[in-house]
Amino acid sequence: MNKTMTAASLALALGAALTVAAAPAAAADGKMSMEKEHCYGVALKGKNDCKAGAGTTCAGTSKTDYQSNAFVAVPKGTCEKTVSKTSPTGYGQLKEFKPKMAG
Amino acid sequence: MNAPVFSVPDTIGAAARGLPARGGVGLKPEHFREILATAPDIGFFEIHAENYMVDGGPFHHYLGRIRERYPLSIHGVGLSIGGESPLDADHLDRLAMLLARYQPESFSEHLAWASHGDVFLNDLLPVPYHAGTLARVCDHIDQVQDRLRRRMLLENPATYVEFAASTMAETEFIAEVVRRTGCGLLLDVNNVHVACVNHHRDPYAYIDALPAEAVGQIHLAGFAQDVDAAGEPLLIDSHGAPVAQAVWDLYRHALARVGPVATLIERDNDIPALPVLLAEAHQAERLMGEALAPSIARGFPCGACA
Amino acid sequence: MRGMRVSDQRIFADALLTGRPSCPPGLTAWNGSDPERRFAIYRSNVIVSLIDALADTFPVTQQLVGEEFFRAMARLFVQEHPPRSRILAFYGEGLANFIEAFAPAAAVPYLADVARLEMLRVSAYHAADAMPLTAEAISRLLADVAVLPEARIGLHPSLAVLRSGHAVVSLWAAHQAADAAQALAAVDPEAAETALVLRAGLDVEISRIPDGAAAFIEQMRQGAAFGDAAEQASAADPAFDLAATLGLLMRGGAITTMTIPRSATS
Repeated sequence: MNKTMTAASLALALGAALTVAAAPAAAADGKMSMEKEHCYGVALKGKNDCKAGAGTTCAGTSKTDYQSNAFVAVPKGTCEKTVSKTSPTGYGQLKEFKPKMAG
Repeated sequence: MNAPVFSVPDTIGAAARGLPARGGVGLKPEHFREILATAPDIGFFEIHAENYMVDGGPFHHYLGRIRERYPLSIHGVGLSIGGESPLDADHLDRLAMLLARYQPESFSEHLAWASHGDVFLNDLLPVPYHAGTLARVCDHIDQVQDRLRRRMLLENPATYVEFAASTMAETEFIAEVVRRTGCGLLLDVNNVHVACVNHHRDPYAYIDALPAEAVGQIHLAGFAQDVDAAGEPLLIDSHGAPVAQAVWDLYRHALARVGPVATLIERDNDIPALPVLLAEAHQAERLMGEALAPSIARGFPCGACA
Repeated sequence: MRGMRVSDQRIFADALLTGRPSCPPGLTAWNGSDPERRFAIYRSNVIVSLIDALADTFPVTQQLVGEEFFRAMARLFVQEHPPRSRILAFYGEGLANFIEAFAPAAAVPYLADVARLEMLRVSAYHAADAMPLTAEAISRLLADVAVLPEARIGLHPSLAVLRSGHAVVSLWAAHQAADAAQALAAVDPEAAETALVLRAGLDVEISRIPDGAAAFIEQMRQGAAFGDAAEQASAADPAFDLAATLGLLMRGGAITTMTIPRSATS
């Protein structure tokens, strides 16, 4: 097997990585062409608590209508905005679509 | 009023010392940074134990820093003390680890069940009150106190139904649990109001029927209002609104019996800005101050020091 | 014997989750009103609080299909897969698989992978802490280049890789933009992407990484030696850039240990 990774090339990469890691963020990200997506300020909530949740009253909001099994089979969200090469109508549309066959 | 001057707690012996007789608020992740940045004048923070049963990350980072500066109450919601199932030994171990790490001044749990078999239902479910459930609840509390090697506080529940099988009043049941296990009480005044409206009882008599000297902490919260099948009011323990006037009035009555004692403002829904919660906690402290003067004159025992 | 039978809480739990029975026996109300209405408070609280927990963990999944669809789907998930842990932080680990088998969601074929990514985000958020290896410590390893191929690299506990046949990172990222609809227009959902999830300090970061970087990370996770991991990554992806990948990991504090096995030391 043709070893492409010699000890020397590993050392070279490690040394270069140290330089990259020490560089300012924008410059380094550009060099690596790896896109980083932060989730700024996203603090997760604690999910355990001892309350009765909002909307748990029987007053009849959509959140509480336990007996209603009227399942809405049509997603109505941002998926409608995504484009698709294989589906002329995009995603999440009412109409069924068949992926285009190759050729 | 003269709130006691706040001092940094040393965590050694925190459990023995207990929470200060001051107002506190529930610690919410959305307030982590603000608390550290502004160092608000507040008696203590309370967390839900299960939220911190994670390996690392921001929750522990912030809790560690906040705990260095403030007294802490750890409030469990998952032990299922009222459950038919045996206590979950792994969960109890996790709880013991959490308590060992943060050395809270207080640990409390609920008179309720939340798990059956291996399913966790994430609600505080009601227990009928009779000799059988009394023995089971006492046995579970004994196990908790043995494992954690500390006294726990048991919280009175907010309930929406009652059981035909019950043979004891809730207060009678709780008083007997306290007598048998030596646990303390977390008197949730909002729960008293909610349960007494829901079951058509006198909330003042309810508080009078509990052993005042066992009360180590008070909870205050807001509720939501609904109606039952007959159109009678049915209150829901939503923790989603400011403390209602009826609950403040009842709190005054509780203070007159118990004396000044650590009082938490619970808010878990529609969480407002931190200063709004702090103001409610300070209102509790004002009422404690008002209750203190006459109680000292009459030589009342101080519940918080008991 | 008076009072609850052993299985009374079982019946209560079934009534909460499945609605069968609609109300457990033996409940009363002071005014003789139908206790089912009162019991429904508990049922609603159980179901709604668990749906809320899922909505917290899967915000982009919810945005993609809309709140109504998401909550209806989540309700079925809650009933079929109630939590088995008392720690709700990780509730929903099975949701992605559930979505994959859920016919009404078939119109959104990338939905399951977006849910997988969101679950990894939560896991990374709460993962154990570990100190990154300092640049000085890494530099010291360069002193003995001959043994470098034998080095074992330990990665941060929060780190995870997700390979997707869809543009899972771009889809997720578009929803972090002020105008998600506009950002989505530039995304080709059918372009395969691999996500790196990593908590750097207190923030969870999601990056799109090339196949080679993913292969390298997976090799190291399996305990492969540094040299072998780099070989494998190059074989998997001719464009594999070792320095860039190491740089990315170091910048995120993802490299926590680098050790030379005793047998390899000269």
